Amino acid sequence: MSFLLACPHCGERSVYEFRAGGEMNRRPAGSVSPREWAHYLYMRNNVAGEQTEWWFHRLGCRRWLIGVRDTRTNTVIELRAADRPAA
Amino acid sequence: MKSPRLAPRPHHVVDHDGRLTFTCDGRSVGAKPGDTIASALYAAGQCVFSRSFKYHRPRGLLCGSGDCPNCLMNVDGIPSVRTCTEPVRAGMRVRSQNAWPSLSFDALSMIEKFDFLLSVGFYYKTFIRPRWVWPLAEKLLRRVAGLGRLDTQTPPKRGYDHEYRHTDVAVVGGGPAGLSAAYEAARLGRRVTLIDDQPALGGHLRFHVGTCNASAESDADVAGYVLAQRLAERVRAQSNVEVLSAATVFGGYEGGLLGVMQGKRLIHLRAERLVIATGCHEYPAVFKNNDLPGVMLGRGVRRLLHLYGVKPGTRAVVVCRTASGVHLADELLDAGVRVAAVVDSRCGSSRADAQTATARDRLRTAGVELLDSYALQEAHGRRRVDGALVVPLDPHGRPISHAPRFIPCDLLCLAGERAPAAGLVAQSGGTLRYDEARGRMVPDTLPPHVFCAGEVTGLDAETHLSAVLDQGREAGLHAAQSLDLAVRPYEDKKSGDLGESVAAAPTASPAAPEFGHVQIQKKQFVCLCEDLTHADLADSVAEGFDEIETLKRYSTFGMGPCQGRMCATSALRICARQAGHESAAARTTTSRPPIKPVPLGVLAGRGHHPEKRTPLHHRHRELGADMRLLGNWRRPFAYTEPEREYRAVREGVGIIDVSTLGKLEVVGSNAAALLDKVYTHTISNLRVGRSRYGVMCDDAGIIIDDGTVSRLGDDRFFLTTTSGNVEAVEQWLAWWTVGTGWDVQVTNVTGGLAAINLAGPHARRVLTTLTDCDLSRGAFPYMACRQAVVTGVDALLLRIGFVGETGWEIHVPAECGEHVWDALIAAGSRCEPACRVVPFGVEAQRLLRLEKQHVIVGQDTDALSNPLEADLAWAVKFDKDGFIGKSALQEIRERGARNALVGFKLRGTALAKGGHAVVVADKPAGRVASAAFSPAAGCCIGLAWVPVAVARGETAMYIRIGGGLEPADVVREAFYDPAGERLRT
Repeated sequence: MSFLLACPHCGERSVYEFRAGGEMNRRPAGSVSPREWAHYLYMRNNVAGEQTEWWFHRLGCRRWLIGVRDTRTNTVIELRAADRPAA
Repeated sequence: MKSPRLAPRPHHVVDHDGRLTFTCDGRSVGAKPGDTIASALYAAGQCVFSRSFKYHRPRGLLCGSGDCPNCLMNVDGIPSVRTCTEPVRAGMRVRSQNAWPSLSFDALSMIEKFDFLLSVGFYYKTFIRPRWVWPLAEKLLRRVAGLGRLDTQTPPKRGYDHEYRHTDVAVVGGGPAGLSAAYEAARLGRRVTLIDDQPALGGHLRFHVGTCNASAESDADVAGYVLAQRLAERVRAQSNVEVLSAATVFGGYEGGLLGVMQGKRLIHLRAERLVIATGCHEYPAVFKNNDLPGVMLGRGVRRLLHLYGVKPGTRAVVVCRTASGVHLADELLDAGVRVAAVVDSRCGSSRADAQTATARDRLRTAGVELLDSYALQEAHGRRRVDGALVVPLDPHGRPISHAPRFIPCDLLCLAGERAPAAGLVAQSGGTLRYDEARGRMVPDTLPPHVFCAGEVTGLDAETHLSAVLDQGREAGLHAAQSLDLAVRPYEDKKSGDLGESVAAAPTASPAAPEFGHVQIQKKQFVCLCEDLTHADLADSVAEGFDEIETLKRYSTFGMGPCQGRMCATSALRICARQAGHESAAARTTTSRPPIKPVPLGVLAGRGHHPEKRTPLHHRHRELGADMRLLGNWRRPFAYTEPEREYRAVREGVGIIDVSTLGKLEVVGSNAAALLDKVYTHTISNLRVGRSRYGVMCDDAGIIIDDGTVSRLGDDRFFLTTTSGNVEAVEQWLAWWTVGTGWDVQVTNVTGGLAAINLAGPHARRVLTTLTDCDLSRGAFPYMACRQAVVTGVDALLLRIGFVGETGWEIHVPAECGEHVWDALIAAGSRCEPACRVVPFGVEAQRLLRLEKQHVIVGQDTDALSNPLEADLAWAVKFDKDGFIGKSALQEIRERGARNALVGFKLRGTALAKGGHAVVVADKPAGRVASAAFSPAAGCCIGLAWVPVAVARGETAMYIRIGGGLEPADVVREAFYDPAGERLRT
């Protein structure tokens, strides 16, 4: 794994500066069944393809980012500040 | 037989006047500066350089260029060094490997007599019946197997390092194509890094003594080595070119990253554009005894002749399929080697150009037999070649085998079988295809940032030098120009213009070697590294492994040090022929890094273990503390005896550096709301000037951290976290603010603050002398916090009792840490003797907190611990809405706790340790989390995870210590000061 991530605050950096935060999933809101909680907590889609996921720029701006990456090729399609809406 | 040196020539790289010596297997060997180990040994008459992997057959110099496994030796304690490329140094100690007792007589070569037991996959077939045989056979085989031995006696080598570089255009390969690509890209103003694995630039031109056929160049009529020098000078004159010589690119990775090894240095080279001009490597043809010492590849012979000035033999036979054999024979004659014959296995009339025709005439005049339409059938000899058996071919290329001819010789040169070194092409995202006409795997498609030039594209540089130079120029031009286009390495292939096909190379290339008529015999080696023969591969295909990837895995061809350079093409053809595939349909095996073996030391780099130090580090050193690495922090384990330090805290005053605590400032109008969400405790109702203990859980209700929260203002909180966990907590808090639009800032101030805990019955008396702050019980109660000036420094005082005594956690700016530490100790010595301030270490602190049953998150809890079971239910406020982990904890509450973290006391005198098993009703049912001997309790105490029945006192618990079971009692209140009087005083 040696790809680069273009941090919206710091520019293009090695992936080793970042913490991978895993795939992005909707957290259940309100009172939901334990089964739904368990699904959110323990089940991952693990897609072979484009995945929306969390990144944290540990050795840079120390902010959460949201990226879209092709998990097969590690091509990063998008990386934006987590507070910004998707393009 | 000693191989005498030739008369000095300008293209020799050795200094003929110099002399140095080194030892090989204990004997002194003379060498000339500029020699490689192998060239010096060869000149000194050594012909066996190693013993083969399986059969321990003698092996001699073959490729001479660092590709094959034949010259691996132990150099100064480092095993498997390629001696044919390793420069010789005076006094170096070279030892042979994989041979016992010696290279010339290897007792293990008798294994060859039992080769019928060692077929491919023999460990599935032989030595397994009767069943008792295998354990013995395995032991023996494991001892015999392997290449080289790691020398555990010599100390580890130092000086390994990593380096990070960036460049616009990386050109891999310093031959004619690479040199012209680098020049062109540099001329267009790009930063160029040229990486070449030879000590000098020029590639094969360095040992090309004939005039060059580079008609497009003004340098048309110079010798190859002169052209090499000119091309190299032209590149070096460009200030924006960086040349990495004697550096190997061992892998292409994502994002345009190249792994480059230069000596003991690993260079991470990040290149925007990549020009691959890695050339090709020669490999041996498959015939009987093709691994005998004396069988040598054409370019290996040329290197010996033209770089090191070593006469490679006395009587040679040259075998070729191209005109290059004729020229090689000519050069051998020039060097005074008798050439017995040139065997050309092409059928029909040879299409010789004028230059070749002249050379043929010269050879004929010199009495060299030109055996056209002959094939080499066998090399003859025992320890070295003593003759070649050749057969004439009929017009269809079939051998007329009843008439083999024996030609005596001691050198058998194999010229012209070449395979493009295309591993990097595949690793950089390109694809390869089998070129039927040339019998080679050549690059097919390339990603937009990769360009190819030279012999790697399938061209023959010796016959088509001007085309190679043009290709290099074009590759350099395209690479440089494409930087203006917005093409990024590994950009989505859909958007890029992928699929630039490699331009078809000019024709008139050598015909594909034909294996159709070769008879399968014994000792026709395909893979030299793993000792695999033609018959082995044919058998494997017959067993069903008829696809190249499965054939590789089953037979292990290409898995040795040469990584398929010597065998991949031959194996591909054999596989195709035996399986009845069309060659074109066959694909090559997947190329993965490393292309060449990389020593582990190079990958490891410098021994680099960063550790964190607190602002008080040097004070601890001055006090002679036993500094230990705990997590990432270097901390005082103890200054003197942990018990003495313990007693000082319980009876007088102790002082401990707690700067390792994570420290966060959470500020903003929504700060309280955020903390209410992440802590199970309620934080929003905390009054300014008060502190509260808090536990953080994740959505599964698992404890992720604990610490104190102090409210410094309405919108301002100060958090402490466990040492080493602050980054995770900071990220956790930041994550929960994403998308909320809340006004809250989380700042990690861990490194900015030094923290000192002053604790003990006399702590107040000491601290009072340094501050105007009212420290009395009424004004500054337990779990209060104040901002105050301590010995002239702005400090945050937290009245917290981790160790169970009256105490203050004093947070001051890091740069004032030593001043405050010194002032506190000095203040103690000014008071009465009981107030002497004694520094205590982590070990004493552990015991002090254990007597209070204070939990350490991460030591007493793990990834399955929730606060309800960890005796922290009091810190969970179920009446609070929406804190993280609430649903899960409610679930656990309804289900009922299964385990509990409880205090225990051993009845006997034994000492328990963390990790010991808790045994209930003769079954392991839990574990000890922490344990120590407690002076307060007078016995061993601890915290343990036990089933709830034990916690309720319904069942007896035992702890398994050293094989015996020790009875223990559950203690649900603190071992020391259960009412907490001393804390609050």
